[in-house]
Amino acid sequence: MNQETEKTLAFFGRMTANLTHEFKNILAIIQESAGLMEDIMAISPLARDKYQERFNNSMNTIKNQLQRGMEMASRFNRFAHTPDHNSAELELGETMVHFCTLTERFARLKHITLQADSQKGQEIKITTNPLLLYMVLFYSLDACLSVLPAQCEIRLISAKKDENAAVKIACTGKQAPSPEQFFTGLRQSNAWGELENTAAQLNAELKCNTDDLCFYLILK
Amino acid sequence: MNDSIKVLLVDDEEEFVTTLAERLEMREFDPSIATSGDQALSMVQDKGFDLIVLDLMMPGIGGLEVMKQIKSVNPDMPIILLTGQGSTKEGMEGMNQGAFDFLMKPLDIEELISQIHEALGKTSA
Repeated sequence: MNQETEKTLAFFGRMTANLTHEFKNILAIIQESAGLMEDIMAISPLARDKYQERFNNSMNTIKNQLQRGMEMASRFNRFAHTPDHNSAELELGETMVHFCTLTERFARLKHITLQADSQKGQEIKITTNPLLLYMVLFYSLDACLSVLPAQCEIRLISAKKDENAAVKIACTGKQAPSPEQFFTGLRQSNAWGELENTAAQLNAELKCNTDDLCFYLILK
Repeated sequence: MNDSIKVLLVDDEEEFVTTLAERLEMREFDPSIATSGDQALSMVQDKGFDLIVLDLMMPGIGGLEVMKQIKSVNPDMPIILLTGQGSTKEGMEGMNQGAFDFLMKPLDIEELISQIHEALGKTSA
């Protein structure tokens, strides 16, 4: 197996582990809710009345978790198709939203908020390698998570920069490090090295704004 | 036989932990819930729990770190870990660090109760 294949499999492995963990949480909630309904049904009919509301709540919980699971399955299915084509047309803002919903849990585990944003009313179409784009975004996120403390926020903003489509990765937070500490930490992280290599494969330029906690991925 | 057993359930999935608590309550346990490691640590200081059921992967302080901090103050506190991972690796690691046992999610409540009784040296009904 060559290095590129290993890297891609490792990326898919982390994404799959993350999403299947979420699925197990959904199944655990459904299992307990169904179990509670079963417990209530096992009570004598005369004593069951006081549990009616709880029974109905459990039913609603199951429906809500099924919906959560179906949405997650759809998002993951779309992600699983990213290697289908080496080149495809994507709308950048919508792709950022999809990426953030897939990876939000990585940030949540560190008490960090992740969100996608776009310049108002601006639709940015790009033709690119979808898999490499998702990998580049993932390494960007991973690098930021390795240096930011809890309660910070990471925003992925689709934008135009010098006539090119770009993703601005902007970090904020009261406890956030100084720009110097931030960039030193990023460059020391394993994810940053992967980011540089993958960005080069994607023909994307990585531009750091050293006055602030942000950097750009310029997609050429 | 369960009404004196005070169990702290710790998991960031609130609906899961609330429903599990209700089911244990229907079986005459005395459960309390915490939805984060920080909350669990503050509750453990104040209340005399007999046993803790602790999720391994939570935002902020993870299950293993929570267990470590609890064990540093109360080394005899029995802790049963919950894991959403597909492998037993993390659960085994937890046992090496002092957990009584671990259970995989989604869990079987009868198995949990059996583990609780075993950890407290009681015979299952």
